Amino acid sequence: MPVPDRDEPTRVGVVKFASCDGCQLAFLDIGPALLDIGVIYQIVEFGEASSNRSPDGPFDILFVEGSISTDEQAHHIRHLRDRAAVLITIGACATTGGIQALRAWAGNDGGIEGFIDAVYATPEYVDTLATAKPVADYVDVDAELRGCPIDTGQLVELLTATAIGRRPQLPSEAVCVQCKRAGKICVMVSRGEPCLGPIISGGCNALCPGMARGCYGCFGPRESANGLSLADWYGESLGLSDEQVAARFAGFTGWAPEMREVIEAKGGPPGMRADDAADAEGGAA
Amino acid sequence: MIDLTTRAWIAREDLDRLIALLREDGRKVVGPTVRDSAIVYDEVGSTADLPTGITDEQAPGRYRISKDSDGSAGKSFDFASSPTSWKSFTFPSKVPIAKALRDGDRLAYEEVSHDSPRMAFLGVRACDIAAMEIHDDVLAGGPYIDEDYADRRGKAFIVAVGCARPSGTCFCASMGTGPEVSSGFDIALVELDDGYVAKAGSEAGQKLLDRLGLEEASSVQMHAAAGIGVEARARMAEQLGVATEGLRDRLMAQLESTGWDEIGERCLACTNCTMVCPTCFCTDVTQTSDLFGTETVSERQWASCFTLDFARVAHGNFRPEVKDRYRQWLTHKFSTWVDQFGSYGCVGCGRCITWCPVGIDVRKSLQQVAPVKPPMAGTLKPVPVSANPGSYSIATVGDVWPETKNVYTLLLKDLPEAVCCGTPGQFLMLDLPGFSAVPISISRYREGEIFLTIRTEGATTRAITSLEPGSQIGLRGPVGKGWPLAEAFGRDVVIVAGGIGLPPLRPLVDEIFKSRGHFGRVRLFYGARTPKDLLFTEELKAWAARDDISIGVTVDRAKVGTWSGAVGVVTHLFDREPIDGSHTTAYICGPERMMSAVANSLAGQGILPERLFLSMERQMQCGIGLCGHCQMGKNFVCKDGPVFSRRELGEMLDVEGL
Repeated sequence: MPVPDRDEPTRVGVVKFASCDGCQLAFLDIGPALLDIGVIYQIVEFGEASSNRSPDGPFDILFVEGSISTDEQAHHIRHLRDRAAVLITIGACATTGGIQALRAWAGNDGGIEGFIDAVYATPEYVDTLATAKPVADYVDVDAELRGCPIDTGQLVELLTATAIGRRPQLPSEAVCVQCKRAGKICVMVSRGEPCLGPIISGGCNALCPGMARGCYGCFGPRESANGLSLADWYGESLGLSDEQVAARFAGFTGWAPEMREVIEAKGGPPGMRADDAADAEGGAA
Repeated sequence: MIDLTTRAWIAREDLDRLIALLREDGRKVVGPTVRDSAIVYDEVGSTADLPTGITDEQAPGRYRISKDSDGSAGKSFDFASSPTSWKSFTFPSKVPIAKALRDGDRLAYEEVSHDSPRMAFLGVRACDIAAMEIHDDVLAGGPYIDEDYADRRGKAFIVAVGCARPSGTCFCASMGTGPEVSSGFDIALVELDDGYVAKAGSEAGQKLLDRLGLEEASSVQMHAAAGIGVEARARMAEQLGVATEGLRDRLMAQLESTGWDEIGERCLACTNCTMVCPTCFCTDVTQTSDLFGTETVSERQWASCFTLDFARVAHGNFRPEVKDRYRQWLTHKFSTWVDQFGSYGCVGCGRCITWCPVGIDVRKSLQQVAPVKPPMAGTLKPVPVSANPGSYSIATVGDVWPETKNVYTLLLKDLPEAVCCGTPGQFLMLDLPGFSAVPISISRYREGEIFLTIRTEGATTRAITSLEPGSQIGLRGPVGKGWPLAEAFGRDVVIVAGGIGLPPLRPLVDEIFKSRGHFGRVRLFYGARTPKDLLFTEELKAWAARDDISIGVTVDRAKVGTWSGAVGVVTHLFDREPIDGSHTTAYICGPERMMSAVANSLAGQGILPERLFLSMERQMQCGIGLCGHCQMGKNFVCKDGPVFSRRELGEMLDVEGL
């Protein structure tokens, strides 16, 4: 990642596509340290925080939230890429497609039109792609911050490292590493609670296992994620059905290739499974 | 003066006084307590915080606690091991180690104080004491000492409690670390139904016991306490352990085993095994600074060889695959740790098994990758038929045929079952009453039958080889240590036979064919005096026709026109053929001088002395190490051999008259 020139203020933008805005709030959650950040970084575009806007940049660093869900967004992200020296995706939607990416399986359940008809009162106003995909499927991405939402600590680390000109410490290790360092008790081993922690990138400091529930994978698969082995254990030892296994993997990062592999192997996400489609056809006949 | 003989009795209610005294001394008392559906170690204020009446149940990937239901409901230490080890207190997951200040081009480092609390650990198991002692070697054994560890450990007061209830994942007995507590404590307790039998292990421990003003434990109480460890040991004996004999070498010989791939398919590389391991000590140093880089704090935090970043360098990664990382971990624990620190890096606490999210069992991994015995069908542990030198079992001679002018093969049937379960390289004591018993190696195992190939040297062997089919013969065995075939797993094999040395090697060849995939290239070199002395010539031809073994044959001398093969000593055969010594195991049998020459020649090609195996001959009368005839240096050849590695033999091999 090119280091912005320290003599000029670093021009930063925060923009969003198909998303809930939660990751943008992580910037505001930084708190008093924002004052320091303001010394080094000049935020020129941040719709969630300020009405003083330069939506066209140019940007030294552009943070992008959300997945690409419409034709217009696909067009716009290519335009913004040209206006940004460094593009960093933030959050599960921008990095993996997010929960909305699950609609890619809609083909088993009446297709995207069926979804739109079921959800919207006036479907004719909705113009959407059949898929919601990560930003990296459309343009080159320089770095990513994961999570749903992203972790403020990781954001500060990224901003700090960039300011100093070093590589940010964003480990690709499992949630388990942070869970164990924090002295938490494994919810899967001690309670039989299905947990995605072993195959998911840390960064959240094992938030969910600390609340006695399994990780649901919002940071997305880590390097060497062995989803199939974990899925086997869910089935054989925790007694989950294939559909239940697929449901665990088909969460906020279900469209990530490592998660998709398991979801496909287990027949697709709940409500969008191949046998659901067969049932629907059977019903029609 | 530490009184190591007497034991004090601490009534159940008096344990609170012990805790109170430790606290009075300014110590933070850490012991077992229930939190988040687990028995964890945390600060305890009194016995009310202990998990009284609670026990645990552990299996691969599974941990549960429950109310004690088997009558020991009043006990406070009636569980196996905690989810995390004492490492959390002696070597915390994250500690600040340095602070740096940077002002322009000026630097300053600030000392970080390691002023940790004085702690007392209550309820430390034998396995965990062993783990602390291992950490002492690694982290404080020098030349560089981890200050924070040394500070915490040096201040810690250890109250050990003997383990009464090993779980399904415990294997301390096979690692030699427990279950009985024998050293490394200030006070050791054994918990009985109504109190504790206590003994001091240090001056500090003795002083504390003195301050409690205790009665001596009664002989009944001491007897009951001794029984606790025996029972725990018995419990573990019924479950899977780790066969440690030769483990260090067995494991390192299997670096290319396909077993790693199989485990790598299941392993999540999630690091849980290393995090819960009480001896794993690898760490990262992370630096955190302010936005301007003026103040940087370095922290030491637990790291794991299972993460990708662990072995990353500028140009790539040394351990990209999960199986690489698993191999690194397992071989460190059970092999290279021995070379580095003089012990295994495993104490058998079983945490890595219980807390593996997919239940990978280190005991099974070791069996899978480095089995003690070759995984061959029908090969059972050899059982001597009798230990009495005068008693023999009876078998029937099925057939006798000549191999050469003076070598005969006997086929024996109606055998005791144990005989058929022998291993290649073992021998029998053969007895024809009236003659002295003779040791004869087994030249083939076949369903319910064995072959003995015998050279007629004297009256006994002449009498035996003259027996008619149907005659009975006495035998004992199989006895002795045979060829260690596992040493050749994953390697090339070189077999060298001289003269009558071929028969003891034939069952080895048979076994190799049965599990041919375990070995690399296999070569057999055989030398005899003359073409007429060659044994098993038809079989040699059949082997030579196979493409999974190569055969070289030579004779010392041959009449012109009778022999078209090689002439000369057997070493000439492989002198001409390159052998990759670093990946080869060799098995040699023949006259002692021939074996010595062959071993020297093969050693010259790079085969390590621990992978050169020779079968020695001495006078053997009993075959079971009782009669003393066959002593060679520190060994009885019959019992400790006849097969030895070149390393075991050392200087003895070339000493005349030994």
